[in-house]
Amino acid sequence: MSFSSLLLQQTINGMSLGAMYALLALGFTLIYGILELINFAHFNVFMMGSFLALWVLQGFGLTGQTVILTGLPLIGVLVAALIVTMFGTGVLGVVIERVTLRPLRGITGPAAMITTIGVSYVLFNIILLLTSAQTLNFPNPLPQLQWQVHGAIVTLPEVLIWLVAPLLMTGLWAFVQKSRLGKAMRATAQDPEAARMMGVEVDKVIMTAFFLGSALAGAGGMIFGLYYNFTSFLIGFTAGLRAFTAAVLGGIGNVPGAMVGGFAIGLIEAYSGQFIATEWSDVIIFSILVLVLVFRPAGLFGRLAPSKS
Amino acid sequence: MSDNATAAVGRRPLAALAEGRGKPAAIALLAAVAVLYPVAFPNQANVDSLANAAIYAALALGLNIVVGFTGLLDLGYAAFFAIGAYAYGILNSFQLHPAWGPFWVPLQHLGLVMPFPGNSGGTVVHFTLSFWIALPLAAVISAGCGMAFGAPTLRLRGDYLAIVTLGFGEIVPIVFRNWSSLTNGAAGLNGVGAPVLLGHSFGVNAIPYYYVAIALVAFLIFASLRLRDSRIGRAWMAIREDEIAAGAMGVNRTRFKLLAFATGAAFAGATGVVFIAKLQTATPDMFDFPVSVMILVMIVFGGIGSVWGAVAGAMILQLLQSWWLPDLSGLVDGLGRLLGSRWLASVDLTQSTELIFGIILVVMMLYRRQGLIPAHRPQAALSFEAQHAVVQRGFGELRLSGLAGDVAAGTPALQVRGVTVAFGGLKALDAVSIDVPSGGVVAVIGPNGSGKSTLFNVITGLVPANGGSIRFRGEEILGLHDHQILARGIARTFQNIRLFPTLTVLQNVLVGQHARLSTSLFGAVFRPPRTRREEQAALDWAREVIAIFGNRLAPRLGQAVGGLSYANRRRTEIARALASRPKLLLLDEPTAGMNPAETLELAEQIRGLKSLGLTVLLIEHKLDVVTQLADTVYVLDHGEIIAHGTPAEVRRNEDVLRAYLGRNAQAAAAGIAGGGDAT
Repeated sequence: MSFSSLLLQQTINGMSLGAMYALLALGFTLIYGILELINFAHFNVFMMGSFLALWVLQGFGLTGQTVILTGLPLIGVLVAALIVTMFGTGVLGVVIERVTLRPLRGITGPAAMITTIGVSYVLFNIILLLTSAQTLNFPNPLPQLQWQVHGAIVTLPEVLIWLVAPLLMTGLWAFVQKSRLGKAMRATAQDPEAARMMGVEVDKVIMTAFFLGSALAGAGGMIFGLYYNFTSFLIGFTAGLRAFTAAVLGGIGNVPGAMVGGFAIGLIEAYSGQFIATEWSDVIIFSILVLVLVFRPAGLFGRLAPSKS
Repeated sequence: MSDNATAAVGRRPLAALAEGRGKPAAIALLAAVAVLYPVAFPNQANVDSLANAAIYAALALGLNIVVGFTGLLDLGYAAFFAIGAYAYGILNSFQLHPAWGPFWVPLQHLGLVMPFPGNSGGTVVHFTLSFWIALPLAAVISAGCGMAFGAPTLRLRGDYLAIVTLGFGEIVPIVFRNWSSLTNGAAGLNGVGAPVLLGHSFGVNAIPYYYVAIALVAFLIFASLRLRDSRIGRAWMAIREDEIAAGAMGVNRTRFKLLAFATGAAFAGATGVVFIAKLQTATPDMFDFPVSVMILVMIVFGGIGSVWGAVAGAMILQLLQSWWLPDLSGLVDGLGRLLGSRWLASVDLTQSTELIFGIILVVMMLYRRQGLIPAHRPQAALSFEAQHAVVQRGFGELRLSGLAGDVAAGTPALQVRGVTVAFGGLKALDAVSIDVPSGGVVAVIGPNGSGKSTLFNVITGLVPANGGSIRFRGEEILGLHDHQILARGIARTFQNIRLFPTLTVLQNVLVGQHARLSTSLFGAVFRPPRTRREEQAALDWAREVIAIFGNRLAPRLGQAVGGLSYANRRRTEIARALASRPKLLLLDEPTAGMNPAETLELAEQIRGLKSLGLTVLLIEHKLDVVTQLADTVYVLDHGEIIAHGTPAEVRRNEDVLRAYLGRNAQAAAAGIAGGGDAT
């Protein structure tokens, strides 16, 4: 492969990874923007999403790697799986907020963050026990289509990711910008107290943020499964940390920033894996995280929410 | 001991016993049990579990310094454990084996290396660093790494710091995994040497490791307790409670955060050596994220900031894993067989250890955030009599030695010249100039938002100026850090009261003396006579300062300030500022929120301070207080000085009346002259 086609191939890979990280980063950024909370539970909500999608697809009889459905039925099953997964993780996010985080609202210090670490651990270990610490094959119901572009290969899952992820992100952006609840959300991010006094139901806003963020993480989880063809209890931590880096890179609390940051991290991972060494890509990503936080704590694009410290 | 203790003995003899004698007795008992356990029960597996538990207790103690004392959330603490462990593992194993040469001979005499026949012929170097040298060496290496990593990152806000440390905690095991030539990669170091004491190798016998581990824990408990009750521990807790107030009270935040980070890292480094010597092998996955989380769970469970809590949390959770869960699984399985339930009979609770840890973390956060052994125990409220005692106003025979100015009254203390502060397009201060003469009381008044507190902030180094000059006793102080300005002799209070809420009145006032004390890390732990004298003098001075307020604060020395009345919190804040032996005291609305009687009392006390020779710069809204106290009044409006002079002159000034009362100044003049709150 020539250098240019290698570069193109890694750009394609990076954009696919990036779309997934961006979906995940949006959840971090939404919740951070409103509660100033780093939600470690989000890591494993994403992981739960991939398992939910796995179970739903298995429920439809899609268990193996062979194509047993084509055309509209296949699309229908995939869409149904996506919707169920997103709804399921969304509800999971709301439950986490309602049960473990709402009682801690207004308590200063790291209590809420430590709680999310605990919740994340619980989710992680539930799946670990359920799967006996095994890596599971993810169903691959898609036809093996791929295209050659200037020596690089584009596969069908990648094309689907590029269609679905931007659609979801645009939907979220439109919701935050245009809808009444979205406006309430932005107001709460700026100043929860003032928003409450103006009649914004802050509890509802926070629940919505958790629902939307977790639903996007669920979509990310399903994409992970379809893209890599496996899932495991372990996937939340690595992907979550990279996505969090993406959110910080774009300026945590900043919705468009999280999307750009996600793609940036995806590309960095792909390029460093190709041109440096795969085993060092995490070191590179975390080094970028440290450098960004030290030299540009507000991220590359600044943050949406002012600091309430 | 003071009259307080004697009084307490009179009222509650048993309580005094518990404080005085019960604790050492309990500690002696605990130590005896720890020492005698392997003699009584020489079961290798059990002793080994206890040694592991002690190793985690040592780690928890280290993390407790970082998270508990200083409030820096460190999610990558296991990295320092790994660095210490690998430092010993590499320097006492066959991992590195450069060719033997004359260079190594001196090191051989020191016992650090040995010649060894290599695999492919020739002689190679075998590193044989002694365990006993490795303990302090690994502590130093880990502390160095902690500082190198902390220096650029510790100024980040709490949750960002958590993420950066998490990233660091991830990077270190990855580096150990990938750097195979140094660490043997994922397979790990093998054949790490066992410690040798008096010619006897510890080998694989758990008992000597147990004794080393509990000796380490005992030392770390001792060091933690000593540090907590020292100048250093108070500075750490001040940072945790309120960073801005800590800086304003003279704590160099960056330095003390780094010190906490390095101390915690040193604890982990030394513990890593014990851990690896005991296992005689090290792999990168022994130090992954779950280890950092487990240590965090231990201190959360035991009580964040509580030394005994950290030990108890670590021991309980570690033994839960190695002793109780297998037993409990056995019980459940037996029950399952009895009931014929195959599911129950096959339950293995040891696999769900981490699940249980997660649940403990969440449940503790929701229902018992202070942990098993809380760091702060609420002191009993005062008795009815004490609460309703006749107010004594202090200042009877007070001298407050050292507060009096050492320069002639009237020479300039503070000269502010043309200071401008802009926030974006808004000029909060516009070319402001004021003079404060030594021994005088100068008041700054002005409507809300006129820039009074900004003036204080720029004098004390909290906000930078866009121009101008501030000279204190002839030296430029603009551009100095807040803690340096306090050290020069300017102390302040805050408009919204910034105390350290969970610290006691006495601790708050002691933090005020931070810049006047010099105890080092070594001094804090080993308490040489010099440190003892310094602490005693600090306590005496704190009591003397608190006595200014008569019996308002004196009976409440041991109470957390968060639970005090508003007026008493204001008084504590003033006492804290005075404890720093300032030459100039800045009071930001000291009587705000006080009732007329309390206001009068405080005004009297401020006048008392003035009579002792202290220079005071005062922001105040109550004009009768200003009239009583101030020699000179400056009036700020929209960031500009619109008038200054004696209180009487200012009160007649047209501009002032307009600023305060709008157009109908003349008509309302009577109102302002009558005093009262002008907000």
